[in-house]
Amino acid sequence: MRESEIVDMISRKLSPYILLFALYLISYGHLSPGGGFQGGVVLASGVILLCLARGEGFVKRKLPPKALSLVETGMFFIFILMGLAGLLIGGYFLENFFLPGKIEKVPTESFIFFLNLVIGLKVGAGITLICFYILKQEET
Amino acid sequence: MRKIAEILIILLLGFFLIAEGDLLKPLPPAELKNYFVEKGVKQTGAINLVSSIYLTYRAFDTLGETIVLLLAVSGVIMLFEARK
Repeated sequence: MRESEIVDMISRKLSPYILLFALYLISYGHLSPGGGFQGGVVLASGVILLCLARGEGFVKRKLPPKALSLVETGMFFIFILMGLAGLLIGGYFLENFFLPGKIEKVPTESFIFFLNLVIGLKVGAGITLICFYILKQEET
Repeated sequence: MRKIAEILIILLLGFFLIAEGDLLKPLPPAELKNYFVEKGVKQTGAINLVSSIYLTYRAFDTLGETIVLLLAVSGVIMLFEARK
């Protein structure tokens, strides 16, 4: 199964496009259907496709689980920091601090864009991490 | 026997829902819905109303969702690491 030429080729050609589509979903979340959670799951599915086709040792060399858990917790930390920045600038926790009166010359929707980016990376790292552990358990 | 019990439970639940009047009540007032539809795009700047609601008006709820995912990941890691 692991040696199949077709599965190997298709997964290697397809997964970059899945990752690109995930970035599209995340970064256009405020304009079109999509957003952080959906884009993050698609981001994870691109990595899982490589995991299933080539074994998770191949992927773990590029994406060590320690780095993924660092991304997961770090993005959660940044989420809370953005909430605290809203508390400082806007007066409420997680307040949109790019409001027209508060900071000039920054479009209002950039708050949604940054939160989508943070949530997308966090969800992608988290679900990839879960799948790493589950796939590893199956092989032993 | 079990199927009959399940059907009876479903019928009983449906009877209570109708008897209490949950299904017959009029819909809740639409003021909040109309507020989001009218002012959401102008206030948040995002054309996609769904993301403008879940990341600005209800951002605290989204924080809770990310906490749920963080707990799920740490639970999976705890379970699979402890088995070694």
